[in-house]
Amino acid sequence: MADQPAGGHAPAGPATAAGPATAAAAGAASAKGAGAEYGVGIGWRPEIAGFVTELPGLRFAEVVAESVHAHGELPSGLEALLARGVTVIPHGVRLSLGGAEPVPGDRIEHFAAVAERLAAPLVSEHIAFVRAGGIEAGHLLPLPRTREAVDAVTANVRRVQRSLSVPIALEPIAALFDWPDDELTEAQFITEILDRTGALLLLDVANVYANARNRGTDPEELLDQLPLDRVAYSHVAGGAEHQGLYHDTHTDAVPQPVLDLVAALCARHRPPALMLERDGDYPPAADLRIELDAIAKASGYPAVT
Amino acid sequence: MNDTWGIPGPTFLIYYITAMVLVAVLAWFHRKALFRGIRFARVDQLGPQQIAYLNGGPKLAVYSAMGGLRAADAIGTGPGRTLVQTGPLPSGVTPLDSAIYNAAARGLRARDVFTDQSVVSAVEQLSDHLEQSGVAIGAAKLREARAWALAGIALVLIGVARIIDGVANGKPVGFLIPLVFFAVILTIALYTRKRWATDAARRHMRSLRDQNRHLSPSQSPSFATYGATGAAMGVALWGSSSLYTMDPAFAAEAEVQRIAATGGATGSVGGGGSDGGSGSSCSGSSSCGGGGGCGGGGGCGG
Repeated sequence: MADQPAGGHAPAGPATAAGPATAAAAGAASAKGAGAEYGVGIGWRPEIAGFVTELPGLRFAEVVAESVHAHGELPSGLEALLARGVTVIPHGVRLSLGGAEPVPGDRIEHFAAVAERLAAPLVSEHIAFVRAGGIEAGHLLPLPRTREAVDAVTANVRRVQRSLSVPIALEPIAALFDWPDDELTEAQFITEILDRTGALLLLDVANVYANARNRGTDPEELLDQLPLDRVAYSHVAGGAEHQGLYHDTHTDAVPQPVLDLVAALCARHRPPALMLERDGDYPPAADLRIELDAIAKASGYPAVT
Repeated sequence: MNDTWGIPGPTFLIYYITAMVLVAVLAWFHRKALFRGIRFARVDQLGPQQIAYLNGGPKLAVYSAMGGLRAADAIGTGPGRTLVQTGPLPSGVTPLDSAIYNAAARGLRARDVFTDQSVVSAVEQLSDHLEQSGVAIGAAKLREARAWALAGIALVLIGVARIIDGVANGKPVGFLIPLVFFAVILTIALYTRKRWATDAARRHMRSLRDQNRHLSPSQSPSFATYGATGAAMGVALWGSSSLYTMDPAFAAEAEVQRIAATGGATGSVGGGGSDGGSGSSCSGSSSCGGGGGCGGGGGCGG
């Protein structure tokens, strides 16, 4: 493979290694940003905005789409990042693409407007549902891996795509259980949705790890089955074990096995970008830098700290 | 019947209003001159405790230091709302940090930290330095500015005397009563609107706040991430309520008062936030000026 983690730091900028594959993956829609390597990024959160702003090598960050005003003032700090030329990707959490009902038009409108506002080269959302029958779950809930669910997701993704001028990347979620009526494997389910929508994949390495570990399977097996050339970027998050189950908490440190899985992913096909996703219980800046450096080391991208 | 004090009511009202406006305007110009500061004085190289002093005086400086020490896990609270040491004193601390840290070793009650001798002298040391650099207003100048409250008191006393004599004289006093009320407000404003930063320093403070918007309580900043300096700066720029964001239990146990970092009023005084940024007495005086409308009514000035 051309893009094996070489151990040493690759010089910044060469779009050669992952270029062709990424371009092919993003080729479905606008070519903006396609082929670019962003390296290691971080989820922008207001609580750590000052830390993110000061990362000297940062080239990409992700922001929760629902936390950005489509037309009002941008959160301070985010403005500064954009001014610096950092690419900011809106990450939706409330569209409920996996819901049986169509995604509400106003949510799609807001999502698309935020993408425009941030001049983002792509957007992302989850393959999950957060509401059903008008009731908000407040959590990302997993879908049964059935053909019916594929149809529902596909219909919703297409609806959203019609309002977007940039590609969308879909993120499978971590689930502590499987529905009893699953017809497809995880890989089949994801691939089917991606094939039918032309969407990119947002692969959460920590989810892959959590799902495999809680089911006693090999996480690398799933990597082998997924269309890795369609990965737009990757999430890397921490978790913790609780009563025998591994929880993808996003509030703990990234454990070594997840970092090992990052290396395994990059050995197969390195995503153009990987980012640390931390959602609470933020540690001291030095610890966050260690995590970012660890992701850089595991992926072979230059350190951003 | 004769006019009270030989002055007809409407005439007295006009005199009274004129005197009140005069006091407010003169006090305002005097403050402008007193508080100008050194034009090119910089605040961007100042430390958090110095910034805190400029924004909220000695108390906020102490709270800023406490925020830094708490974030560094050097102090905490013990039984009876006392301060206790919880870890070693970090390196590179200020004399104020050391003074508070040492006070914590003695198990001082948190609310008494402001009157602790070593803390007081550390704050004085800090404020002297800031005065010399032209960013802080010295005690003498502040006293001079507050002396205008004496003029306010004189107005109130004259007004009250006129009301008493007017009533005794069987004259209506309906317009004078609200005017005296305004005079009381003006006096309070002239006396209590304490401030520490010169106008030059205040101008810079605005951009400093912009640069540090991530520390504003509205962002629920993670002070674990920003560390001791971030915590101290958060208190300095956004007031002691930052301590409640950072460590609610500590802030409550230490009985931290909510002091706004307005650079003007001392938090509890309501009007502080609406301050136009320059003459701090103006909001008080302009509301007094508005009292002029009363003068229109003839024959009821007591």
